[in-house]
Amino acid sequence: MEAWRLPLSSSIRGKLISAGYTSLSLISSVSSSDLARDVNITEEEAFEILRMANQSSGSSSCNGSRSLINGAKNAWDMLHEEESLPRITTSCSDLDSILGGGISCRDVTEIGGVPGIGKTQIGIQLSVNVQIPRECGGLGGKAIYIDTEGSFMVERALQIAEACVEDMEEYTGYMHKHFQANQVQMKPKDILDNIFYFRVCSYTEQIALVNHLDKFISENKDVKVVIVDSITFHFRQDFDDLVQRTRVLSEMALKFMKLAKKFSLAVVLLNQVTTKYTEGSFQLALALGDSWSHSCTNRVILYWNGDERYAYIDKSPSLPSASASYTVTSRGLRNSSSSSKRVKMM
Amino acid sequence: MQNGKMKPENLSRRSATSRKLTTGCEILDGCIRGGISCDSLTEIVAESGCGKTQLCLQLSLCAQLPISHGGLNGSSLYLHSEFPFPFRRLHQLSHSFHQSNPSIYANHNDNPCDHVFVQNVHSVDHLFDIMPRIDGFVGNSKNRLPLKLIVLDSVAALFRSEFDNTPSDLKKRSSLFFKISGKLKQLANKFDLAVVITNQVTDFVESSDGLSGLRIGNLRYLYSSGRRVVPALGLAWANCVNSRFFISRSDDIIGKDRSAKDESGSSSVSRRAQRRLDIVFSPYLPGNSCEFMITREGICAVQA
Repeated sequence: MEAWRLPLSSSIRGKLISAGYTSLSLISSVSSSDLARDVNITEEEAFEILRMANQSSGSSSCNGSRSLINGAKNAWDMLHEEESLPRITTSCSDLDSILGGGISCRDVTEIGGVPGIGKTQIGIQLSVNVQIPRECGGLGGKAIYIDTEGSFMVERALQIAEACVEDMEEYTGYMHKHFQANQVQMKPKDILDNIFYFRVCSYTEQIALVNHLDKFISENKDVKVVIVDSITFHFRQDFDDLVQRTRVLSEMALKFMKLAKKFSLAVVLLNQVTTKYTEGSFQLALALGDSWSHSCTNRVILYWNGDERYAYIDKSPSLPSASASYTVTSRGLRNSSSSSKRVKMM
Repeated sequence: MQNGKMKPENLSRRSATSRKLTTGCEILDGCIRGGISCDSLTEIVAESGCGKTQLCLQLSLCAQLPISHGGLNGSSLYLHSEFPFPFRRLHQLSHSFHQSNPSIYANHNDNPCDHVFVQNVHSVDHLFDIMPRIDGFVGNSKNRLPLKLIVLDSVAALFRSEFDNTPSDLKKRSSLFFKISGKLKQLANKFDLAVVITNQVTDFVESSDGLSGLRIGNLRYLYSSGRRVVPALGLAWANCVNSRFFISRSDDIIGKDRSAKDESGSSSVSRRAQRRLDIVFSPYLPGNSCEFMITREGICAVQA
């Protein structure tokens, strides 16, 4: 089948064909990153093309096609995809490094800790950092911030946004990059505009909103992070039926995982800590119980060590357990060593 | 079905800072960057006699100030669970409040106390019974200033004797914390209210699991009257408030009474009620502290 039959924009189609990818079998025979490089398009666009190509050629012979089953990928492709997944920086390079570069898209990451440790601060930082333009090494995306506790303060978000803009200006100056004529320098107000802020005041509102997210994100495809601050609050009230609570929470967790995979975005769920009574004594644990703990791909625990704040990778399919210290400054999250003042862009 | 909650809020349309309620004292305001935030639950933790009630009474009066003066142009609802309610002190403060704000209380008969509504709360159940009435009260403000501040003094007293220390009772108690907090936050958000809740402290006692000394917030240790203390109601309740301020006193601090001089001309030293406010945690305030005094006129900070 010919490549020009694929439902693509004319510019991308033009690029494909002039690069020599005239048939689907040629397209299917390379990996998405090779395709992206050859044709000069983004990884995501290449991946989309491959997906469409594989779908179209599914019914015809598997000539040169890598997948025997439609949609199946081999491990090399998956590894490659994972390594090239965009990540959102936390503005704290130490924290970024234990996270493998930042908060990963396509995953659900749970971050929990005691009050005052900086959960909301991380949430706001991520909702700002997701917007860092690609020229500066970011994702150029938008954020959804679901506030269940009322901790989100506009003045704080503005403070962090202003610091981010200043850091970007410094970075572009340092790299001698100049914004092209049609690109406008981001202003703090623009950053606020790109945070879709929802305040929910009950668990029913929370559930309704989560159910609505698929539609909302379909209409706002540049959303690259969904932050829920906190996932827990409305579920710690009296629930007459604990079985129902567990069921509702698992459904919600599943929805988030689907959203993350479907739209290639990061879901960050902020959680509280509680004391759990096990084996005759009290221990610290993340709230929402044991059944919830299976629901997230990654889990980070924030804690105090002396007078320093630390983050610890408690659960991750690929990252080693490690901890890193961080501080909360007026400019947002930063490394705790005072020598590093600038935000390090990826 | 499109409903209001499914549309995101336009953040840049909000003002750059949330509305704040002045404490009535410039330096205290400066420490907490303007005052108590609206649409937020602020907790004031202190041992008895430190001035939490004084501060709350003062806030109740300040709420009726016009916005230009740092007020909320509204009335206050004072829910008290501790008895008796200090009516006399409220009147005393109200009197000096009236005098120090002549432009607002032009009419001699204006009584600032008219805008402070006092309701006693004797148990958690009673509090839940009152909530729907508060909703109606806030929403329906024909003949008076709209309600803009709710004070709950104190939350600890509500839980004092009703619960044992068994895990199941503690769990029941925690669910109630979240229910109370949820409802108050809902009110705060719906009507843009400031909500101030006071809490007590208990002496720090080392426990075998090490959790009693669990650090929450900017201060590793909380001291008052020379003893190490912890806020009452534990970790669960700490998760229920947006900001926590700690007021402490130190018997060692002796305030110098600069104006008084004895016959020989040297200034005398007298004990004043000197207190210290620390920001334990807050979603937007950096760690900070300041000192203040409680006088007949109310709370005023000590110049650094």
